[in-house]
Amino acid sequence: MLGWKKRRNQLLREFETHIEIEIQENINNGMSPEEARHAAKKKFGNVGLTVEKSREVWGGLWLERLLQDIRYAVRSLSGVPAYTATLVCTLVLGLGCVTTMLAVIQSTLMQPVALPHSEQLVQVYTENSPDGTYASPQALSYKEIDELRRGNRSFTGVGGYNTMVRPVTASDGTRIAVLTEVTSDYFQMLGVQARLGRLILPADTKSPVVVVSHEFWSERLHADPRAIGSTIKVSGELRTVIGVLPLSIHVPQGTGGPIVYVPVSLDASGDDDYKLESASTIARLKPGVSMQQALADAQSIFAHSEPGNAAQDRHLGLRSYRDLVVGDMQKPLLTLLGGVGVLLLIACANAANLQIGRAASRMPEMTVRSALGASFGRLLQQLVTESILISLFSAALGSALSYAAVEVIRHAYGNQFPRFDELSIRPIVLAGTAVLAVLVGVVASIAPALNIRRKTTSRFNTKNATRKTRLPGILVALQVALTCVLLVISGLFVRTLQQLQNVKLGFDPRGVTTLVLMPENQNQDQQLSREIEARLLRRFEALPGIQSVTMQTEIPFSNYNMVLDGRTDVSGRTYQKGDSALYSLVSTSFVHTSGIRLLKGRSFLTEDDTSGSLVVLVNEAFLQKYLDGRQPLGTTLKFHRDPGDTDTDLPFTQPMTVVGVVENEIQGGDLGAPYQPMIYVDSMQIPKNSPIGLIFNMTAQYAVRSSLGPAALSSELRAALKDEAPTMIEMSLRPMQDGISQSLGQRQLALRLVAGFGIVALALSAVGIYGVLAYSVALRRREIGIRMSLGSSRLKVAGLVMRQAGAMVLLGLIPGIAGAWAAGHAVRSFLYGVSALDAATLVYVGVVLVLVSAAAAFFPALRAAQIDPVEILRAE
Amino acid sequence: MSTRDADTQLELLQGTLDLLILQTLALGQAHGHAIARSIEQRSDDVLQVGHGSLYPALQRLLKLGLVVAVDGISENNRKARFYRLTAKGRKKLFSETSKWQKLSNAIALILAPVAKENP
Repeated sequence: MLGWKKRRNQLLREFETHIEIEIQENINNGMSPEEARHAAKKKFGNVGLTVEKSREVWGGLWLERLLQDIRYAVRSLSGVPAYTATLVCTLVLGLGCVTTMLAVIQSTLMQPVALPHSEQLVQVYTENSPDGTYASPQALSYKEIDELRRGNRSFTGVGGYNTMVRPVTASDGTRIAVLTEVTSDYFQMLGVQARLGRLILPADTKSPVVVVSHEFWSERLHADPRAIGSTIKVSGELRTVIGVLPLSIHVPQGTGGPIVYVPVSLDASGDDDYKLESASTIARLKPGVSMQQALADAQSIFAHSEPGNAAQDRHLGLRSYRDLVVGDMQKPLLTLLGGVGVLLLIACANAANLQIGRAASRMPEMTVRSALGASFGRLLQQLVTESILISLFSAALGSALSYAAVEVIRHAYGNQFPRFDELSIRPIVLAGTAVLAVLVGVVASIAPALNIRRKTTSRFNTKNATRKTRLPGILVALQVALTCVLLVISGLFVRTLQQLQNVKLGFDPRGVTTLVLMPENQNQDQQLSREIEARLLRRFEALPGIQSVTMQTEIPFSNYNMVLDGRTDVSGRTYQKGDSALYSLVSTSFVHTSGIRLLKGRSFLTEDDTSGSLVVLVNEAFLQKYLDGRQPLGTTLKFHRDPGDTDTDLPFTQPMTVVGVVENEIQGGDLGAPYQPMIYVDSMQIPKNSPIGLIFNMTAQYAVRSSLGPAALSSELRAALKDEAPTMIEMSLRPMQDGISQSLGQRQLALRLVAGFGIVALALSAVGIYGVLAYSVALRRREIGIRMSLGSSRLKVAGLVMRQAGAMVLLGLIPGIAGAWAAGHAVRSFLYGVSALDAATLVYVGVVLVLVSAAAAFFPALRAAQIDPVEILRAE
Repeated sequence: MSTRDADTQLELLQGTLDLLILQTLALGQAHGHAIARSIEQRSDDVLQVGHGSLYPALQRLLKLGLVVAVDGISENNRKARFYRLTAKGRKKLFSETSKWQKLSNAIALILAPVAKENP
């Protein structure tokens, strides 16, 4: 910087000498000293500009100018704190939201999974669910996994896992934990190392060992290094803790929490300890093998398996491990990113408008600088520097805010959504924000710069003419349009939520409490479990204040449902591929307790239990699919027997007789899902030792209808449980309506976020409308004063301003509605019971926008009406 | 409002002005005013925009190493910076001048027959 100054001074001295010599010569030629000086200066030209041009030759001047511009910008901005604060707030909001969203997306969708060479990991899944019992409909049977492992040429390893919830007893008592059973090569295939001890090895297949997650170790084993070698009881079986996983490893579902891992051990019939016949499958691709090659390889293995093997008609699919973990999150997250992107655009339009207003008040300064020789490029550089400076500053503040936001999100949802425990703002996100900030800075300064260019180059003194610029109005219209889009989308989400809340449940959840129990020892004798469960049912029924109790293997919104999807023969109908129904095992008072409506026939009776013949109820969906137009009562159903199937392959062989039809009820936990055909079987009638009972007795789900308060009911049920069946562990006890609201919770979160964006957008637009009108009124004071002195009333003047506002809003509403339609179409998969172009929502949003705009326009209109014409005319 | 006009004019001038300065300095060292006066006398048009426009050109020549500047005393006892041609500058002057001459010869050859055909 010293060099710059030196050169500048030298040049100035040289110019001085030059001019002095010229003056001397002029005097010698007979001019008066005054004239001589004037002529010499004129001949030399603009000294300041010449210095700049001369120095420009040496380069590096841009840096000096930049520093100069920054110094100047800081000085001039600190002179207008209100403007600076508004601009910074606007941009912090926009950039902060975008940074947070980018950080979430980068952490979950883009950051590679924290496993060695995670890009090689894939899930092999089936698109048509296997028969028998499975924890996931995409699981492959253990036999198929084995075939894949032995026969493939594409994988370095193939592993399987099943995740469930089971009681685990450690020194701190018995509590439920996530249990993941893994094939013994699972950890080797993933390439995971133990934090402490060792992980499960192929030799561990039959041994009672357990590996725990870091969270389980620190929460339940007191982070004690001596825990290795100690024993804990997992689902009733004593197991030795052999290792602890590192803190960052959360396989397979990507969420943190206390998890225990046990090796899969298969019995003679191919079932594991949990009576499951299949497992979700993860494989590691050999280096250089593509997913397509691997899929073709896997399919050919199954196609060549022995005839009659179910694997032959398996439709396989392959997806990356990352997609398995976060695939469901992708669409909602990208939608939210779209939302914050729109928000940033609105903020950008606001920033541009604020800068246009400020540029107008800086016109005298700009005119002077231009007159002194500053080129338009130089003025532009100053403006852009100032704008970028502000947006970078806002980006820094916004990033600080989003750092806090990301911390909050991680704490609140770390265990709820996959990979949210890994949320953090990485340098690449900050770099992205910085780039965005520079872009916003440049874009927001283009409009004011163009304004200045027009005015400094115009030959007319514009002071006395009311000049209208259309740009601010267009920017406001753009804001209104974008706000309209965000509001319509939030409106559609609100309507969706309302529709879901009004979904016909098919049963009456009011006053119903669900209780889920599991035997502490999962190998408890099936007959014993059945007896205990029946005894508990009778005990519960007898408790005071309880109206009725039923057992159900499938309770809507329960997380412990067991699903039997059985291929079914319907009498009078030829079996076709795909003829299957869901089976729910219930107890006698099911219809009464659940409040489900009986449409035809009768409900279960106590006599049915002992009559020997199996009677069932079917739902409306079953009626439509299989018994359309026929008399359903008396129809006989049977499990379909494929060629080669033996009796043991079927849940049971007895025929079932339909005695009643019930209304469709919600199945599983999704309020918006379509209804599947369903058959309700009285569990007391199921033959002893049927394999179906074996599985379904592993959890016992009770629905209790009672008029008691939740606290009283809970303590009553728990007391009875402790008294009657101390070996049954309580997995869940909650009012049914809690389950329903929980299922709405995820949608509610998205709704809150989008609605939040909508409100922020509305506020920004209101500020934009206010700013533009206030500025326009200030510019038109003279015109308004003259109008009033010529007889215009105050009301008419206010009307003038309101009309201007109305024009901007209307101009924005039309493209806004078109944009909202397109955006609604894009998010239609999140909608339920409301069309992408919902007239009611559009009208509602339109009214809100018009009202808010009117409120924002009110104050400038008031100010216009208060203009005193005498004062204006006197100032002329 | 002449800044933009001056800009364009200066650009057009650049090559010519550089050559004129080198030509002036070929006769011996000179300070800014003397150079300006000399060029002015020889071609009044070029320096119409002001003596000041000489200096960016001088800085450019300094940067290219075609001239050097030394402090000295002017003929009427003022401190002034004198510019002198370097060997590189002399070579450049020679090559540019011959290029100019070739060009003008060429143009003369092209223009001559046209003038004959359309009298």
